[in-house]
Amino acid sequence: MLTLIAREIRDNIVSVALPCLVSALGITVAVIFAFSRGNGGTFPVTIMFTPILLLAFCSLGASQAYGDRANRISSLLATLGITRNRIFAARVLAGLLIVLICLVPLAVTTIFLLWRFAPPLEFYGRMVAEISLTVLLAAVACYFAGLLVGWTTSKAWLLAGCVLLLLSLASLVVIKGFGPAAMALLALFLGATLWYTWHTFTSASL
Amino acid sequence: MNDYPIVVENLVKYYEGRCILDGIRLRVPRGCIYGLLGRNGSGKTTIIRILLGLEPPTRGQTIVLGQDSMRLSAQTHGRVGYVAEGHHLIQSYKVRRLIGLCQGLALHWNEEFFGRLMETFRLPLDRKVKELSTGMRAQLNLALAMAIDPELLILDDPTLGLDTIARRQFLELAIDVIQRQGRTILFSSHILGDVERIADRIGVLVAGKLVVDCTLEELKSCIKKLRIIFPEQAPEDLYLTEIVNQQKQGREMVLTVANWSRQKQAILETFHPESCTEVPMTLEDIFVECTRPASAVVPQEMVG
Repeated sequence: MLTLIAREIRDNIVSVALPCLVSALGITVAVIFAFSRGNGGTFPVTIMFTPILLLAFCSLGASQAYGDRANRISSLLATLGITRNRIFAARVLAGLLIVLICLVPLAVTTIFLLWRFAPPLEFYGRMVAEISLTVLLAAVACYFAGLLVGWTTSKAWLLAGCVLLLLSLASLVVIKGFGPAAMALLALFLGATLWYTWHTFTSASL
Repeated sequence: MNDYPIVVENLVKYYEGRCILDGIRLRVPRGCIYGLLGRNGSGKTTIIRILLGLEPPTRGQTIVLGQDSMRLSAQTHGRVGYVAEGHHLIQSYKVRRLIGLCQGLALHWNEEFFGRLMETFRLPLDRKVKELSTGMRAQLNLALAMAIDPELLILDDPTLGLDTIARRQFLELAIDVIQRQGRTILFSSHILGDVERIADRIGVLVAGKLVVDCTLEELKSCIKKLRIIFPEQAPEDLYLTEIVNQQKQGREMVLTVANWSRQKQAILETFHPESCTEVPMTLEDIFVECTRPASAVVPQEMVG
């Protein structure tokens, strides 16, 4: 499994590096902003980087699936004695790993900066938790959306699918706001996309 | 140990509403080199892809090494070597990296045999797969498929793009593999000379149907091509069954017929031919006769 995960990361290194760079940039800007201004206004800064990160996660998923379909990588792996379930699991685990690597430091930095600079208000704790969880679910949903639309050989469909799904996800978060309702809907969305992507991959011609 | 590493039962495959495979029944015995023949688009690659679980069947069942091919376990898959038509290797990888990946993922890797193959093929390890010639890609694919010491080797037109020397090397390797006890090979090819040289058993696919499935000897003894000279104009109809092909010109008739027997001989003699000589047929001749669009009669007895 580790060989498969390593292959996923290495083969999609550009798409992996992109969210990592955005995350690192977000952390750097937030820290500079917080220390130079000396207040808790860092939160909007990290939030500002989130849409770019979500876009990068979507492109990571799309790149994994599209690259596989175009280069018939799974076709080769399947003939090496790797079951489709394992190939799919390795792909998703590699993606989730990248999502966590990018989001966790960003969330930790934000929490630290709020604790260090923001006024000690009680509601911050709950707010940060809700926002962090919603963003995490949205990130995973965007990644799965990328996996879903990436399983195609048409670049036009790939682009259109990504734009449509991302817009739907963005409007969902904007309408519902950060909180349990948005989280529940996002969890439903990512469950459905994961199941559909798995079903498509395991039953498709490779 | 399965007596039949490959069993295909009533396999039907439709693709975009078109019937690609129509009720295929096939059993490949252990230790056999099975040559699957057919014209372009006859369904050879589709059967192979279904056997490997890369393509789902519309109906029917395919069993590989005792397991349904759509539910092959990793262990069973690891006992099957595959060389794909067009050699679908990861093009962006360097040869060394691709070998490393396959080695890392394979359940069993015969380093000594693989090293021997790489020495024979002299493949550049630092070049990307896409930079290799078709022949080199074929050799790399073959070496990777052989390195796992497969119990069953499935080759889809493996010699496509290989020069004469490389093709000969490949055939020698195939024979080498089969000599290891219990190994089975299923291969499709358009180079019928190669098939004739190494195959024990032949299957011929015509428009999605398996019209021939027998040993090479049976096939050769079953189909006869006769040049018949009649005293006058050749008759319009000889009233023979299982005529694969018939060409008539003046007093001469060239007749290809399946399941030649004494009864057929007796019917022919009622026309009092001046002479009747058998024309020797190579596998290629038989293949051309069987797959000719005009050959409406397909000898069903040759299947099974």
